[in-house]
Amino acid sequence: MSTQTAEKNSLEQLSNGKKDKADKIDFKMVSFSLAGKEYGIDIMNVKEIAKAGNFTYVPNAAPFVRGVYNLRGDIISIIDLRTMFHLPAERKSDDALESLLILKIGEQAFGVIVDNIDKVIGVSKEGIQPPHPIFGDINIKYIKGIIENQNKLYIILNVEKLFAPKEEEKPGRTDLVKEASVKMPKIGLGGPADDALERSMDVNADFIKETLFSFRNFAVSKVNINWFNRRYNEWKAQRKPTDLQLRELAEADAFLEPFYSPFTGALWSAEYMSALGGIMPAIATKSINVWNPGCGKGYESYSLAVLLKKMYPEARAKIWANDSDLLAISMAPNMVFGAEGISQDHLDFMIKNRNGFVFNQAIRDSIYFEFHDVINNNPIPPADLILCRDTLSFLSAGNQTKLLTDFNEKSRQGCILILGKNEVMPLDNWRRIEGPSLSLYVKAD
Amino acid sequence: MRVEYINPFVESAFNVMKEVLQGDIKRGELYLKATSMPVMGVAAIVGLAGDVEGRVLFDMEKVTALRIASAMNGEELKSLDDLAKATITELANMITAQAVTKLHELGFRFDLTPPAIFTGDNMEISNQNVEALIVPMETGHGKVEINVAIRERA
Repeated sequence: MSTQTAEKNSLEQLSNGKKDKADKIDFKMVSFSLAGKEYGIDIMNVKEIAKAGNFTYVPNAAPFVRGVYNLRGDIISIIDLRTMFHLPAERKSDDALESLLILKIGEQAFGVIVDNIDKVIGVSKEGIQPPHPIFGDINIKYIKGIIENQNKLYIILNVEKLFAPKEEEKPGRTDLVKEASVKMPKIGLGGPADDALERSMDVNADFIKETLFSFRNFAVSKVNINWFNRRYNEWKAQRKPTDLQLRELAEADAFLEPFYSPFTGALWSAEYMSALGGIMPAIATKSINVWNPGCGKGYESYSLAVLLKKMYPEARAKIWANDSDLLAISMAPNMVFGAEGISQDHLDFMIKNRNGFVFNQAIRDSIYFEFHDVINNNPIPPADLILCRDTLSFLSAGNQTKLLTDFNEKSRQGCILILGKNEVMPLDNWRRIEGPSLSLYVKAD
Repeated sequence: MRVEYINPFVESAFNVMKEVLQGDIKRGELYLKATSMPVMGVAAIVGLAGDVEGRVLFDMEKVTALRIASAMNGEELKSLDDLAKATITELANMITAQAVTKLHELGFRFDLTPPAIFTGDNMEISNQNVEALIVPMETGHGKVEINVAIRERA
């Protein structure tokens, strides 16, 4: 046991370094472009994004004030950042829609017109460098700093300063803005504002997609787009229209919560096993090769091994279970269980030692737990069964395609594929078999 | 690469280096690398056969190799001559052998091939279809990267 503990400790230390790196995303900003250059604003200042047009002109306002706008009953001032920063702006026709960032600074809300809203970027505060005059155009005072992300430089604007109520450098600017928002009478709900809101929904969905990827590496693609659309509508029904965005990790997790397949991070229940066994087509071969990418801590690998042993006691199953999380996978080969909550199916293949229950040698010998990244080459023998629940969705879209191609290449005809319950197989040479809470496919030719 | 193989290599690399170099050894964060990779200047390679197929590569810069060889021999070596090369080869052999012994105790049967050493500039080693686990070691004499690629016989 002592060597096992030592092993555990040393591996824990190894992965700590990795964790530190991941924790460093402590600043999120909304990125957008003005005259071809990239800018960012602290997400905490951004209330929402919208597309709108038809602003009501306010006479005698500063040139950068495009007018006021009725945002669901609240009258907000609209400021054209391009004019404010003396950047060239394409003058659209009056009823054309502009991309708006709705900012909230103190009690005041502003609409800010930009060329293009890009996405939410998570960065580390440490990486922000102080502004340098070379970045030009805007007065240095209003720049919080410069950050590099994926080979692009973003200028982070200090919006608090830019729209501060007591603006010393440019007196009159915010007063005008304030007056403009006070003087306009409230027109009430409805009208063009709601139309614009409707149109901005797609942008909202795109934003959520971006945020899910940066928080949880969840990439929306053909594999899970159906689920995403369903969930997005649900989310929309639950939340206020102004409160759709995922601002923090906990919210992203709340959004994803219904996504996960049953018994993630736990052994399968007797019902789940019989449901799966009931619809799974028969496997004829005597030596069953199973590929289990993204096995996490290895619970599902053990459950599958037990299921196969029960269904095909004569056959020799070999499960290639891999995960790129070193800490999770390193615990898998020596997992110890308490007696409670384990179904009889599992207990039949367990033995008791002084720490608790462990799987017997036959089950343990049938699983190869590997520290392996599926993005690299997959040296897997042709598989008869692929178990890949909730793994594809957490790869980037490009890597999803790559892994799906690998599924095609590394599988025998008639291979069974088990995906997460909310995932679908986009390749059409795989035939779906319906089952409750299961997403099961069989490879045609 | 199977999880069970990782620790024996990490531990024996650490123990052997600590013993022969008498200094402070720090282990960096482990990571996986796709097949092909450039070599820093000196590479000692030990092949593995048996239940598995694979190889272990010890990769370091020429300066580091010279310093390690000097420290192990207890004398200042000026160039990477036969003695220096033999010393690095021996280090690779010691580490791999100890790891394989540990694995043997756990029930995995591995055989070693005699180590070989490669030196030169701008070298690249690639083997297809297997990813490598990188164990970076920071010694007082410079960085040594241990590059383990082991594949199960299917």
